[in-house]
Amino acid sequence: MSTEEYPEIEITLNVNGKDYTVKVKPYERLLDVLRYKLGLSSVKEGCGRGECGTCAVIMDGKLIASCLVLAIQARGKKILTLEGLAPPGKLHAIQKALLDTYAMQCGFCFPGVIMAMKSLLDRNPNPTEDEIREALSGNLCRCGSYLRFIKAAKLAAEYIRKGQVYFEFKG
Amino acid sequence: MALPTAEYVKIVEELFEKVKKFTYVGKHMQRWDAIEKILGKTRFTADYANLYRNLVYVYSVRAKYAHAKIRKIDVSEAEKVSGVLKVITHKDVPGVNDVGYVIPDQPLLAYSKVRYIGDIVALIVAEDPYIAEEAGEKVYVDYEPLPVIIDPLEIVDPITLEEKKHVLIHDERESDIVARYRIRTGDVKKGFDQASVIVENEYRTQYAEHAYMEPEAALAIPEPDGGITIIASTQCPYEARRAISKVLGMPFNKVRVVVPPLGGGFGGKEDVANEIGAKAALATLLTGRPAIAVHTREESIIGHSKRHPAIMWYKHGASRDGKLVAVEARIILDTGAYASLGPFVAWRATVHSVGPYKVPNAKVDTVAVYTNGIYAGAFRGFGNPQIHFAIEQQMDLLAEELDIDPVEFRLKNILRNGDRTVHGQLLDHGVGLEGALVKAAKIANWYRKRAEYAKQTGTIRKGIGAALLWHGNSIGAEGADYSAVSIIINRDGSVTFRTGLTDFGQGAIQGLIMLAAEILGVPPEYFRVEMPDTASVPDAGPTVASRTTAMGGNATLVAAYKLRKKLNEVAADMLKCSPDDIEIKAPEVYCRSDPARKIRWIDLIEECFWKGISLQEYGYYRAPKARWDDETGHGEPYFTYTFGAIIAEVVVDMETGKTYVERMVTAYDIGRVVNRVGAELHAEGGAIQGLGYALMEEIVHSPEGKVWNPNLYAYYIPTILDIPKEIIPIFVEAGYIRGPFGAKGLGEPSINGIAPAIANAIANAVGVRIKSLPMTPEKVYLELKRKGLIKL
Repeated sequence: MSTEEYPEIEITLNVNGKDYTVKVKPYERLLDVLRYKLGLSSVKEGCGRGECGTCAVIMDGKLIASCLVLAIQARGKKILTLEGLAPPGKLHAIQKALLDTYAMQCGFCFPGVIMAMKSLLDRNPNPTEDEIREALSGNLCRCGSYLRFIKAAKLAAEYIRKGQVYFEFKG
Repeated sequence: MALPTAEYVKIVEELFEKVKKFTYVGKHMQRWDAIEKILGKTRFTADYANLYRNLVYVYSVRAKYAHAKIRKIDVSEAEKVSGVLKVITHKDVPGVNDVGYVIPDQPLLAYSKVRYIGDIVALIVAEDPYIAEEAGEKVYVDYEPLPVIIDPLEIVDPITLEEKKHVLIHDERESDIVARYRIRTGDVKKGFDQASVIVENEYRTQYAEHAYMEPEAALAIPEPDGGITIIASTQCPYEARRAISKVLGMPFNKVRVVVPPLGGGFGGKEDVANEIGAKAALATLLTGRPAIAVHTREESIIGHSKRHPAIMWYKHGASRDGKLVAVEARIILDTGAYASLGPFVAWRATVHSVGPYKVPNAKVDTVAVYTNGIYAGAFRGFGNPQIHFAIEQQMDLLAEELDIDPVEFRLKNILRNGDRTVHGQLLDHGVGLEGALVKAAKIANWYRKRAEYAKQTGTIRKGIGAALLWHGNSIGAEGADYSAVSIIINRDGSVTFRTGLTDFGQGAIQGLIMLAAEILGVPPEYFRVEMPDTASVPDAGPTVASRTTAMGGNATLVAAYKLRKKLNEVAADMLKCSPDDIEIKAPEVYCRSDPARKIRWIDLIEECFWKGISLQEYGYYRAPKARWDDETGHGEPYFTYTFGAIIAEVVVDMETGKTYVERMVTAYDIGRVVNRVGAELHAEGGAIQGLGYALMEEIVHSPEGKVWNPNLYAYYIPTILDIPKEIIPIFVEAGYIRGPFGAKGLGEPSINGIAPAIANAIANAVGVRIKSLPMTPEKVYLELKRKGLIKL
């Protein structure tokens, strides 16, 4: 059977708080739907095999690799991407902490790293260094900002514990 | 006849002498693009797909054999697949079917033979990426397999370095030797006769992969006049334009290359960007539609350049009092199927081949050869990570033979101000190596830990090791070494910054803004950096060779200086004081002698517009001339060198052979720190990449030339679990007169010394010396077992 013979299926999914209904081929990945059908291009494709973490998003409260999930598997699910992390015009504590620690290099891994940190801090408001390392172990960063990620995760946790979840920014 | 010294040379030297206090330079500052990146709004090349309708997708059909003659390519079945618009083969290339970087040895689309597993025989252009891939299976190629050579020692004799008899990979060139370089200094025979100790060893390094997180991508757009615009993930827009124009057979001015931010480069996005850009451009040319090509991770790993594997024989001699008397070396670099930047890599390796030491007698021979492996080219360090792995272990072994502490032994031999390099180059100032080593040793508690670790028992052992490094800045005698920027002050007082240098994550452009801000007296927030685009930014040469801060920085100083001169004159006129008395601290401009006399920055700019003073300036800088004598390896190969000292601390588990790097102190003499955040991140990032190179990374070919680990599940790069607890960056600012305020580059040097420092630390911990990379648990364990140091 060649690709054109597969029928398209209509699915509804909730992304960043909004319902979307899209037609997908059965072999289409959630990653492609998010990136190309919904235009959420913070979700990156780094390896297509669930090895690098650049496509990580949160689905129904769990961190997943969106390259390993078929779009139809996301039917009816709630998905959070970096675009939906903070209200428009604000930075989330994790983003603020990454800026405070001067962690930015190429930034390609950042959307996935931020989602992994969010997933960690949702579960564990005061993680140890080992817990942070474990939680980010699926996110590769070739520029080598890892030490800053550890500092930033601790700082973000501190912000959130103090009730500072969102920050104003100049930009 | 001596030419008068160019104005730009004088400007850079004058600023070096004059300016010693800084507002922005050397400070921790947030990079200009941090906010858009943290919000996930930055558009990388593949993200542009969302902005174009009617896109077509390009899929590359790659070779089935690593070495074979092509008898016939049949695309008729692939063309019949519904949704396929065009199948492109070598016959469809309107210009020159070649994307070779230094040597025209690399067809874009293979025609007479394939030379490695990544060679492309056809391109499918289709309405949908899945259809394109499916159609790719229907391209039939009739191959006549040829013997596959993966071992470079089948190409050259390890002793004589003469070419052996074999089935030629590049029969059209009549030889598989790509390049040869040599150094002949003094008389090594005499040197070794004076030596009290001689240490001779073979070292090997592996094929290594950049593994930038963003795989290669390019998007081509047809223009109304028949030209083509290519948005591409490339380090070098002007180089990409040259290569793509050649393939398309179009003049340069009809090919436009635009470069969005890159998700990492590390040297890898040099020539492959030319290839992928040409693939997208061809598809657009032949279909009239916008075309996108994005490599999968597998294609990226199989289809782009690698770090050259090296086989190195080193013989070092030292006198009883610990002075180096002679170095002899033979270096074989495997450049894989195509030359790529191999000849330049071999040259850089040769230049640095004795390390940052005073060596009176040296004989070095380097040869780069073809094999049927993935082609090797530019990768952070450019030949230097390989040779440093060998040299720095040799230095430790000499120290051991002489029973001198390794740091003390190095201090007896390092280059200092006033010394000459092995090439006879006089380093009259700006050599901060001693400072770097002494500081690193102090901060790492070298002497105390060295003594402490000598007394260990048990199977978990700690070790500490040192390595030095040097790295010639910029392109050197490899080629034309110039840089350019333009700075435009807009009528609202905002500043536009343009350069053909790209940012692939390193943050060097931030350094350029800080330099311009320093001279102009306006905060970096006033600046907007325009995307590199051959339609607007000046050709600044390639973004390679750790040259952005030094070379781009000089060009920036020149442009900013010229603007500042004009601004001071107009302001002096407005404030009735002398131009030298003008202080600009935007949004204010005042007389230094009487700060009450002031105007607003915006008024100064408006006055310039009324007076007809142009506030668009171009800054150009040509590097000081480099010289290299091919017969002797003498001359001045690079105008200056970055120096460094690395100290690594490891924990080795003798029962598993596993090494954990606990701490690293990295001390670099980079002349002057410009972008401090960028410098620290380079020190950390280079250390982490070097750790991967040292302990885990290796591309493995099967005997048939297939790649066994073409994705990140099997090509291991460091994760956050593998990295040290601490990396301490230290900077020495020895100041080099022809760098911007004395600055030199750090991009590449930050990886050169890591693997040997770790190797020396392992030797210190458990008493075994691993002479091949990567130093995996298996190698360490088997060596411990072979030496009877572990019973298990």
